[in-house]
Amino acid sequence: MKNLFQITWKLLPVLLLLLTGSAVTALGQGPKLQIDQLDALANRASETVDVRLDERLMATTAKFFSGKDDADIKEVLKGIKGIYVKSFTFEKEGEYTQVEVDSVMSQLRGSTWSKVVSVKSKKDGENVEVYLNMIGDQITGLAVLSIEPKEFTVVNIVGPIDLEKLTKLEGQFGVPELGIETDKTKKK
Amino acid sequence: MKTRITIAGLVIALMLVAGPFNVLARGDGFNDAVKTIEQFYHVKHQSIPLLARAGMKAVRTAAKIKGGDYQRLAEAGSVRVAFFEDQNFDSRGEIATFKASMQAVLTREWSPLVQTLAPKDEQQTYIYIRDAGEKFQALVVNIERHEATVIQATITPAVLAQLMKDPEGMGKTLTEDATINDH
Repeated sequence: MKNLFQITWKLLPVLLLLLTGSAVTALGQGPKLQIDQLDALANRASETVDVRLDERLMATTAKFFSGKDDADIKEVLKGIKGIYVKSFTFEKEGEYTQVEVDSVMSQLRGSTWSKVVSVKSKKDGENVEVYLNMIGDQITGLAVLSIEPKEFTVVNIVGPIDLEKLTKLEGQFGVPELGIETDKTKKK
Repeated sequence: MKTRITIAGLVIALMLVAGPFNVLARGDGFNDAVKTIEQFYHVKHQSIPLLARAGMKAVRTAAKIKGGDYQRLAEAGSVRVAFFEDQNFDSRGEIATFKASMQAVLTREWSPLVQTLAPKDEQQTYIYIRDAGEKFQALVVNIERHEATVIQATITPAVLAQLMKDPEGMGKTLTEDATINDH
């Protein structure tokens, strides 16, 4: 009996890690990403921006975009259940590690996420990756990862959003200017 | 029998006393935020009358100049303000810990909306929102190297919708609005 207790005690950290891992994976299956683990980067970052427009807030305020100028916004935000942004800027390179990037990337390896290959950033040397969460033909969420030597940004939008809508949201509602360029936007 | 009645009486009395204490322990967001700043940075907030006697700060004066048809964002009489002036806000490289402390005390009723941190300049802005019936309450915390403000104000969903377009600028806009001196 004592032996069993000792073995369990020794294996406890491994079990906890497995449980945490499965929890993150489970979360990764949905369109809402778990990104709060990145908060510790704030101590190393020279600038941190954390925006969280959740479902309740989006639903309550959506009907108040009623003016002439707001017609476009209202259309873009239709059905959006949340906008979550975490952006970290660093003074030096190497201030964040692959572990932090992987804590987000691992969730995007879930079966419902797929990488959009036709996306580039207009900004020089910027590495922007866009992922869509799909259930059948329906887009249920979007994730943008901007991974730069001195900058790390994660944008997670929950709801029916496409790349065209995303470009319209850039610079508004906490979505940073990502300089996203798709084949469609290029032609314009 | 007499003992039982005494015990029952004591239990009821304890429950009655514990009720208000529970309410106090839950906190109201505004006081919790002020207390968290005081404990983490070892600073003390100043009351408004003291500052009013000391004179208006430039930012408030500038906001006042706006005047004219300027429409206030906060609902009349809903604003609560706490100032920290000429004090030292040094996060000692633990700005994320402070952020987590704020989150921990406000997490029950308040939803974090925007948080911006620039540790090098000791600049931080936190905006929390909670339901207040048909309206919302906004809690804005601004911290700089030598001063800080905590503001709580009630705003309508229409105002919140407009402010949400620029979440990062929301803190500054609400702070300026709430600290306008109408007199």
